[in-house]
Amino acid sequence: MIRFIAQRASWGLLVVLSVITLVFFLIFVAGDPAVTVLGPQARAEQIADFNAKKGLDQPVAEQFLAYLGLMPCIRRDSPKYRREDGSRGFCGILQGDLGESYSHHESVSDVIGHRLPRTLLLASMAVFFELVIGLLAGIIAALRRNRWTDTSIMFATFVGISLPTYVTGPIALLVFAFLLGWFPFGGYGVDLLDHVYHALLPSLILAIAGAATYARVMRGELIETLRHDHVRTAVAKGMPMWQVVIKHAIRNALLPVVTLVGLSLPFLVGGAIITEKIFAWPGLGLLTIESIESLDAPVIMAVVLMFGVAVQVGNLLADIAVAALDPRIRLGD
Amino acid sequence: MPSIPRTEPRRRTPWVGGAVALLAAALSMGLIVTHFPRAPIGPRYVGAGHEDPQPGGTFVFSAGSNIHTLDPHFAYDTLSMMACRLLYDGLLDYDYDGQMIPSLAASLPEISDEGRVFRFTLRDGIRFHNGREITADDVSWSMHRLLSQRIGSPGYPFFKSIVGAPTYHEGESDFVDGIVVLDEKTIEFHLDEPDQTFLNALAMPFAYPIPREHVEQIEREEGVDAVGRHPVGAGPFVFARWERGVQVELERFDRYWAPHARPDRMIFLENISADVASARFRNGDLDILYRPSKVNSLFLRRSEAWAPYTAEMPSATVFALGLNCELPPFDNVHVRRAVAFAIDRSKLERLDPGQVVAATQVLPPMLPPHDPELPTKQIFDLDRAKEEMRLAGFPDGLDEPITLWVRGEGEVRVAQLFQQDLKEIGIEIELKLVSFATYLKETGRPRVAQSAFTGWHQDFPDPSNFMDILFHTRSIHPENSENRSFYSNPKLDAILDRARAEMNREERLALYARANAILAADAPWVFLYYPVDMFAWQPYVKGFRPHPVWLNEYRNIWLDLPRQRVSQEIYEQEQTP
Repeated sequence: MIRFIAQRASWGLLVVLSVITLVFFLIFVAGDPAVTVLGPQARAEQIADFNAKKGLDQPVAEQFLAYLGLMPCIRRDSPKYRREDGSRGFCGILQGDLGESYSHHESVSDVIGHRLPRTLLLASMAVFFELVIGLLAGIIAALRRNRWTDTSIMFATFVGISLPTYVTGPIALLVFAFLLGWFPFGGYGVDLLDHVYHALLPSLILAIAGAATYARVMRGELIETLRHDHVRTAVAKGMPMWQVVIKHAIRNALLPVVTLVGLSLPFLVGGAIITEKIFAWPGLGLLTIESIESLDAPVIMAVVLMFGVAVQVGNLLADIAVAALDPRIRLGD
Repeated sequence: MPSIPRTEPRRRTPWVGGAVALLAAALSMGLIVTHFPRAPIGPRYVGAGHEDPQPGGTFVFSAGSNIHTLDPHFAYDTLSMMACRLLYDGLLDYDYDGQMIPSLAASLPEISDEGRVFRFTLRDGIRFHNGREITADDVSWSMHRLLSQRIGSPGYPFFKSIVGAPTYHEGESDFVDGIVVLDEKTIEFHLDEPDQTFLNALAMPFAYPIPREHVEQIEREEGVDAVGRHPVGAGPFVFARWERGVQVELERFDRYWAPHARPDRMIFLENISADVASARFRNGDLDILYRPSKVNSLFLRRSEAWAPYTAEMPSATVFALGLNCELPPFDNVHVRRAVAFAIDRSKLERLDPGQVVAATQVLPPMLPPHDPELPTKQIFDLDRAKEEMRLAGFPDGLDEPITLWVRGEGEVRVAQLFQQDLKEIGIEIELKLVSFATYLKETGRPRVAQSAFTGWHQDFPDPSNFMDILFHTRSIHPENSENRSFYSNPKLDAILDRARAEMNREERLALYARANAILAADAPWVFLYYPVDMFAWQPYVKGFRPHPVWLNEYRNIWLDLPRQRVSQEIYEQEQTP
């Protein structure tokens, strides 16, 4: 088990490193951050100042090594550029320094630190709704197989998978927020309860596609499991049907769903971009769009880094969870 | 084929349940549709009916993106500047006619030494939010912070004409020689060259004073960038709270020098898209709306109920086609003029009704010396366009297509409108769609882009801010040129240099009028349109007018509370007489 985790982690590290290398050089060829950050009206002098301050006037290889923390700091606005004893320190990601945002005039960790909890709230509520709605619908459909309940649920899931959030989001806002006034019209709110209230509509919208997928998977798996011998035996020995379903069938049927949830986690964190935009939810998604538009390289890099790590961790957690649920699976063998 | 044995026996005919469910769904749908609430067609709330300004209440407004900082020395985006306008105050300001007026200064400065020395006397009783009275030393210290390399403010280039500013910026001296504190209330600025636009620079948020003791404490405790999160200024509102990316909350500053009945609180919402803002506004959850979404601006423009509470104003921006005057065929002034005359700008006004005004010259309509009757103004005139093509030596058009750099789908749409027009005079256009970053980098280099979409929004309301930066030979560099059409005309340079130093307002405007005429005639830019900004406010919001410089000027707002909810039926009666 530990060997398995170590192996997976080192592979993950390699993947993350390649991704950030790729993105770093992509940003470098994408254009000049100074002109995008300072705006189309920037004077040549302001641009030169900015480049000197951020170390963008240095060769790109040096910029990259300094960003990683393998070379001394080249960002003149960093306190580590000139330490109190006059020497030059390191200010790269190896030292835990993600740099300073170009446009937000504060450190990247602060910028992300403000937004991450908001996205996590939205994502965890979305996962909650996905699981509750998706699993319930899947179980009902499986138990009522080929009846009208099953047909309607399967039709609904078909619609749910097909409708993208940029269609459902605005419609939901129009109907439930603007016309009916049941939900706030986008935004984040002021305290925790208010945040949850504001997150209800966007997380439900975000959950539609996931819930539909889980319902279909759950239905298929459950129907399959209900045919197994151990289920038949349990029924035969007189166990009530609901107990059979809960104790014997669902546990087995859950395995693929757990894997799916694990794999979807990073996409919920990074992929809520459209939903965040529609619902004016000030999380990582909005930050990502904004930083890409303004070529705010340190923020883009940090988001990519986080996303990369999230994908790796999500995969690993999914594998571990499956092993925990299914005693037949031994990790590392 | 063997049939699959049925394992679960049917109890009922399967379609009965389905049919019942369908019927129920259809019925409830019908009920919902007939009883569904309708969108409000007029304001939901009106004021209490007070005639005189009343203090109190909470004023809520929004913006589509993030506020980047509340440190005036870094406020270089519209939203940060908007927030800083409420938190801070400066020596100079503009009135609703765009004229310069004193703010923290007691009067406009005494100017001497042929326009090189500006002496300011501070107003009595001006205070920072921490209660301390503002002195000339505070103004001087804040300017030093702004100009220091340690801070690296993007505002530095606007002030480097102060004597000694560059040497101080480079760290070669400890003081800026040209900033002289005479006594507690008097300060002088000495410039290297006479420059009237220095006053415009002083009116920018960059020059707003901040209290030294507060800044030093914050910088020591939390670092330089923390000043933007704990703002202390001298403006009409005190900072209360900032939930990053969500909202900034301000409270009234009771010791502000200009007495006025202001709201108790201001809430500046961030990251509210135009659609969300428009819907919230129509529901009465937002007090003012700036740049509604397209659908909503069409709705508001047509609505009789909203008519008294909306305003439109051309923004101080011009959009244009930049023609590279170094590259053929646009090194030939006649080809440039031909393009300027060939483009039918009224198509734009039809494409976005009410949102644009056809442009005829570089200066937008509210900025003198804009002249609607300018003899050399650029207008659609196909005969003159063809005549110019003949003068250029291309009576049958160009052999090679022209490359036009565009930055996004919106510009592609506009460019396609003009492809037709230019075909009429024998010019083919090929569009080159590039990212904003590539666009900025490449068009700033000489001899790269043949023509490109371009534009300018004023930093401060002075013609020099358009002409010097965009068309002076000084603005051409090997990289990042501000003069992206690489237009170089010694005659224009001379006029601009004279105008910059001229102290007499009438003389200055006359010089800029000449420059304006030359630029329209020489057509380094083919001016396309001035965008129109739309504002709408709730009936209980009083004292708002679009400001020619600050656009969203909320310093003079008061709320007529308590607001009264009104039924939407009154508007229906109005609409069906």
